[in-house]
Amino acid sequence: MSTQIISVLVEDEAGSLTRMSGMFSRRGINIHSLTVSPSEKEGMSRMTIVTTGDEREIEKIEKQLNKLIEVVKVNILDKNTSVVRDLCLLKVYADKENRAEVLEIANAFKSNIVDISIRTITLEITADPLDIDRFVETMKNFGIKELFRTGVTAISRDIEKKSGG
Amino acid sequence: MSEGLKGTEIVVKCLKEENVKNLFGFPGGQLIPLYDELYEETDVRSILVRHEQGAAHAADGYARASGDPGVCMATSGPGATNLITGLLNATMDSIPVVAFTAQVPTKAIGTDAFQEADTFGITMPITKHNFLVKSTDHLSWTIKGAFKIANTGRKGAVVIDLPNDVQQNRSKEYHHGEVKFAGYNPSIVPNPLQLKRIAQKLVEAERPLILAGGGVILANASEDLRLLAEYLGAGVATTLMGKGAIPENHPLSLGMVGMHGRLGANKMINNCDVLLVIGCRFSDRTTGWGLESFAPDAVKIHCDIDSSELNKNISVDFPLVGDANLVIRDLIKFIKKFEDVKKDTNIWRKRVNQLHSMCEECETVKPNGKLTPEIIIKTINNFLDDNAIVTTEVGQNQMFAAHYYITKKPRQFISSGGLGTMGFGFPAAIGAKVAKPDSQVLDIAGDGSFLMVCQELATAMTEDIPVVVGILNNSFLGMVRQWQELFWDKRYAGTKLGTLPDFVKLAESFGAYGERVEKASDIEKALKNAFDSGIVSVLDFKIESETNILPMIPPGGRVDEMIGVGRCRHK
Repeated sequence: MSTQIISVLVEDEAGSLTRMSGMFSRRGINIHSLTVSPSEKEGMSRMTIVTTGDEREIEKIEKQLNKLIEVVKVNILDKNTSVVRDLCLLKVYADKENRAEVLEIANAFKSNIVDISIRTITLEITADPLDIDRFVETMKNFGIKELFRTGVTAISRDIEKKSGG
Repeated sequence: MSEGLKGTEIVVKCLKEENVKNLFGFPGGQLIPLYDELYEETDVRSILVRHEQGAAHAADGYARASGDPGVCMATSGPGATNLITGLLNATMDSIPVVAFTAQVPTKAIGTDAFQEADTFGITMPITKHNFLVKSTDHLSWTIKGAFKIANTGRKGAVVIDLPNDVQQNRSKEYHHGEVKFAGYNPSIVPNPLQLKRIAQKLVEAERPLILAGGGVILANASEDLRLLAEYLGAGVATTLMGKGAIPENHPLSLGMVGMHGRLGANKMINNCDVLLVIGCRFSDRTTGWGLESFAPDAVKIHCDIDSSELNKNISVDFPLVGDANLVIRDLIKFIKKFEDVKKDTNIWRKRVNQLHSMCEECETVKPNGKLTPEIIIKTINNFLDDNAIVTTEVGQNQMFAAHYYITKKPRQFISSGGLGTMGFGFPAAIGAKVAKPDSQVLDIAGDGSFLMVCQELATAMTEDIPVVVGILNNSFLGMVRQWQELFWDKRYAGTKLGTLPDFVKLAESFGAYGERVEKASDIEKALKNAFDSGIVSVLDFKIESETNILPMIPPGGRVDEMIGVGRCRHK
């Protein structure tokens, strides 16, 4: 069982998100995250779904998705040749005593400070989901007040063909 | 909004363009506009059922008998929810049905208005596709698209939810020609390279067996299937849905396979060296349990129009996507090219035929003059002509029919397979009779099933649809009782129905013909009386209350582990 990222191009019709998520629940497949956004094609959206399954299970999901009328294209993204990003907003407790330390770690993870109050700091980080996991784990030491993650979005890299020379 | 066609005019215009001659429905407040439009319509017959479930099943039966999409309609809220069972039944058996459901006016949607239901949301997981039409401008496009989706690729039910104002508003928009969907283009042409590989395997087979499913019938490929089987010398077993894909009196026919299948068919599945499966989805009722022991030594070839069925339940050696008709036709072409290397299958061919008749001999129960389901159905075999259509309910009656009724042509055995819906057979018979008015139509029913839909006697009477219902009346919910007897220590919880109602009087109260049959010698006369009456008829066959349909694969058992074959004298 490994995490898989499925990118789906769907027609923008009322109900297509329900139809998509309904297929997963009906077939007993867990969705870790699901993001929907406009695509480069007019009238079409892109959904990025993260789920787990072995090769055969993912093949089944791919086929079931392809059966949905609104689904135009299904891509199983290869993690090695894709750019994968997740955005996280995190509000961490930071008082006088540990504020410097929190900021140091935030800096090390290349996260941005988006808000500060007397007791908390709100940080924003866009990164590979695994990096965000580590970031969140580290921040747990100070106490996390609130945590928001957008879920994964991903795009495949264009592999340039080697030129003859 | 004051120009162009009214929504309901668009609906009827589209129905005519889709060649719809009959539809089944039940009105209600929000459906008045469409009913009003059909009031004086002569080209589209609107048949009034007495419960919406009957409309969906009748449309389903109509589609199975005719090969054209069946159409039903219901009002908003409870009308639409009453269609649900019938729509899922059609979708699970890949039957093209288009359902129109009325909806509260668009402005009232979401206000919990009177008779409002989220029909679009409710029907999403039980149909092939569904639409909520929000503007009359989109209506013609939607209806044409719905018929296309229902009747192409792997077929199924499609719902069109029609708000009251969308029915009544006018629009100048009318879609001409085919509707195209960016994401829907079912691939039905089989891959020639894979076909060639499969043909090669088939000619190399010494013990070839074909398992034909409903896909063969849906694709109208039965004639070519028979040619292919004869050419290969392959035995042909079918699923419940595939019954009729090959004439069951053909020497190569093995009958139905699976849980309640023929002993011979189940034996041969595990004896063949190449298994060609066409238009079948390997349901658990077909394969038994323990999938690795289903045709373990055979090279498995699986052809289906729905790629998601390939390698879903059973892993196969040669998957192939394609319409059964094209697959079989092309296979015959390729096989003929390999004529010189074709293995001799004469010994196998003889064995298929022998085993079939031997198993038939062992399965036959001595009647001792009693009125048994077997005798009843064997009498029906002799009584009905070659164009007759038999429908079934679900349970023992269905399995007795599947077992003993000899189906000679496709689209003449109509039964609820995937969903197993009690109460399907009678309304489906009504639909089939509307599709084929010149055919004898008989519903082999159970007392439990028939009581679920007996109000449709009114439909059959008022609309002059003379079908015959033969109830195998054992005063029990027979199949569940059989399981309780065999696997639950004879604890008949919830299955004892008792001897009510009096089905003859019930029929007569509708003005229908009714007759009780208690002796085997009276079966034929009763059938004749019923069919001669010219009106819908109910024959109440009083069978023994604790009859079993055997042999069977017990729950958890493998395809070769049938019980109830104690008298088998052959190996």
